[in-house]
Amino acid sequence: MSADTLSTDFQESDTGTGEDDTQGTGSKRRFSARDVWQSFGPVVVCLAIIGLVIVLNRAFFGGGGPGILALQATFILLVSLGQSCVLNVGSIDLSNAALAVVAAMILAQTLGSLGPMALVLSIGLATLFGLINGLLIAYAQVPSFALTLGTLGILQASALVISNASTVYVKGGAVLLDPLFGSFIARLPLAFWIAIVLAVVLWAFLRFTRPGEAMKAVGLSETGAIFSGIGNRRVKILAFGLSGFFAGVTGVVIIAQGGAASTFGLGSDLLLPGIAAAIVGGTAITGGTTNPLLVIFGALTVAMIPIASAALGVPTTAQSLVYGLVIIVAVALTIRRSGNDVIK
Amino acid sequence: MSQTTPAEQASNETPVLRLAAISKTFGKVAAVKGVSLEIGRNEVVGLIGENGAGKSTLLKILTGIYQPDAGTIEANGQTVKFRRPQDSVDAGIGVVHQEQSLLTNLSVAENIAMGSAAGHGEGTKFGFYRWGRLNREATKVLSRVGGNIDPRATVGDLSFVDRQMVEIARALRAGEATHTMPLLILDEPTSVLERGETETLEREIRALKEFGSVIFVSHRLEEVLRICDRILVMRDGELVADRMTEEVTEDELFLLMIGHESEAPQRASAVGLETGTPVLDIRNLSARGAYRDVSLTVYPGQCVAIVGTRGSGRGEVCRAVFGAATYDEGQILVQGRDIRHWTMRQAVRHGVAYVPAERKVEGLVAGMAGAENLTLAHPGPSAVGPFLRPRARKRMATDWFERLDVRPRDPKMRLERFSGGNQQKVVMGKWLASEDLQLLVLDHPLRGLDAGASETVNAQVQDACSRNVGVLLIADTIEEAFDMAHVIVVMRDGEVTARYDLSVESTTSLDLLEGMV
Repeated sequence: MSADTLSTDFQESDTGTGEDDTQGTGSKRRFSARDVWQSFGPVVVCLAIIGLVIVLNRAFFGGGGPGILALQATFILLVSLGQSCVLNVGSIDLSNAALAVVAAMILAQTLGSLGPMALVLSIGLATLFGLINGLLIAYAQVPSFALTLGTLGILQASALVISNASTVYVKGGAVLLDPLFGSFIARLPLAFWIAIVLAVVLWAFLRFTRPGEAMKAVGLSETGAIFSGIGNRRVKILAFGLSGFFAGVTGVVIIAQGGAASTFGLGSDLLLPGIAAAIVGGTAITGGTTNPLLVIFGALTVAMIPIASAALGVPTTAQSLVYGLVIIVAVALTIRRSGNDVIK
Repeated sequence: MSQTTPAEQASNETPVLRLAAISKTFGKVAAVKGVSLEIGRNEVVGLIGENGAGKSTLLKILTGIYQPDAGTIEANGQTVKFRRPQDSVDAGIGVVHQEQSLLTNLSVAENIAMGSAAGHGEGTKFGFYRWGRLNREATKVLSRVGGNIDPRATVGDLSFVDRQMVEIARALRAGEATHTMPLLILDEPTSVLERGETETLEREIRALKEFGSVIFVSHRLEEVLRICDRILVMRDGELVADRMTEEVTEDELFLLMIGHESEAPQRASAVGLETGTPVLDIRNLSARGAYRDVSLTVYPGQCVAIVGTRGSGRGEVCRAVFGAATYDEGQILVQGRDIRHWTMRQAVRHGVAYVPAERKVEGLVAGMAGAENLTLAHPGPSAVGPFLRPRARKRMATDWFERLDVRPRDPKMRLERFSGGNQQKVVMGKWLASEDLQLLVLDHPLRGLDAGASETVNAQVQDACSRNVGVLLIADTIEEAFDMAHVIVVMRDGEVTARYDLSVESTTSLDLLEGMV
């Protein structure tokens, strides 16, 4: 069998991707550090940071701590689930947090007049916006990084216009959303459990459906997927549509929690934590690897960061610094290094 | 093996290169077996041989990419060991590869400077380019190869033949930087050029003789005969002939390359296959720079092989059939339907399958398990609508792994961790698993496979034919085409030169080679 492997290499000199073949002929399975990290890492890190906080501040989990943590984690988890879908197909969505704020503003303005239909409208519009993002990336071939950076700007401007550069308050009908943070299961707010359920549904979608698997295939090897007859464009559109959907749901949660939305208020700073949670949750930034169940732990970890850094004495003004460090360390831990020197 | 080396008489000086009993084995495959040869000063030597004859491996030994298992290399009379490509450059050996390796976004002068260590000496100071000097030097070396290319031009804007000249200039400079008598290895430099363009190149190669020695590898025998002083023939890893050009004819070279003349087995079963609608009907297909006016048909249950050398356009035709490449004129009909606007996704949905030559990039999704790859295109029973059925998939994968003898029998292992042959079996299985398979396009399906894996793949192709699937095959060797095909279409330089129906004509490898080279 090894003869076969090598002879492949010496005849296919021009493919230039022969490195993987040297890993062995497959007589035994090998688990790299990356494999282990992607199965257990996020859980271990989450437990470690919770342990750290308990040691430093015993009172935290006795009082309202878990509730505060769950509240923070809800926002981060919803945004990062969408981000995970996009990262899974090898793209990135820089506009999803801004989209959540715009969705929240639309909801705030329509909730009074439309009632429950306002939920459908705001989530629907956010999904539509995500689909358009995907459509432009797939057909106009604009790299996702550049395109969503552009739409981020557009969304921030629209948010300023919609809100007249101030805060949009809900005018009536807010009662509808009260249960999200008003009712509790196991001392944690309903919104948190809804986010968990969505994560489980997304997990099942990615694992047990053909579109879910197609997303993975496109993320791992877009060329290979195309040559197997997978519609890579519709797969990307789907991923961005999902990102839009989750941004819409985040918008609902913003209104439910704060009763108002503004460009600089609740939810406007979710971009970095959202990416961090996806990556700390084991999502590969190179695409093709994600597990929404682990992203839950990633979101909890990231939500713990302000609490833990406060306990460690890091000033709140420096929190972005901690997010940044966490992203760099997590990417360094998860990135695929098999003989690939090309970094973008 | 021929023991006479005419170079010895031709030159009384030390040869630029002398190989003694060089061998290289990959596992069980002996790619190069005890090759000894000499390249004299100011000599142009042709190196020919079929695919898999060991030419590429020998060249890789000469350029420091592979280390020989046995034998010695002498450059200018001194024993050398090429442990890495730079060692070979230091010994004055410059290479022009089959695929162009210029950086298209840089200027000609920069590309030329980049190839040599000297680029950091004369053309730069403290790491900065000295443009005037850089361009002057580039002009100097370019004029030596006979080109008047502007050194400031961006390589991406040059024509193919001009780029090839820049490649040669670069290789020449790299060799000259270290030695007064450089040796240039030109690995099929003409295969990507149009006929007219090759004349310019041929002139240059002959001009190169003034400055050094050349090893010229080509598939085109007439070209080799025109350009070279001496011709080396390799077959099955051995050097089987070493002749002065004037002492040898084209026909003799054919025979030396293929060894004995082989004849295609008669196919009685093929008669009567050509009825009904052809599964594939290519009509007057043309794509600029690749092929012209190609017509061929494949009927259900028929295997049509296209033979031809690299650059004959056969690969591009196959890619067009799968929707992976565009074409300018003509028509492709799959079961009577014009596929002009098909994407690959639509091709797959209409029962067209493609096993690409670039297996690792196009044939499979690295990172996905064998089972996932197997069911990616046509999930069959392993999915109901959009929903996957993990247990049914496991059964299906286990079944196909057994049927294709994939080793190890571990459908959960990532496909890229299997050996090449076993990867290829799964890639085949991905298409064969479909009930609705109509047309199987195989681009070098046996490339790099050992005997066992080849046999499995071969059997699966036969099996597909008996299921009334049409097969369009690009074979690595003529023997492979004889083994598998009912009809053989010969292509040369983008045109169909001959068509042989093996069921009615007795065809020999010599017949085919004449149409190819």
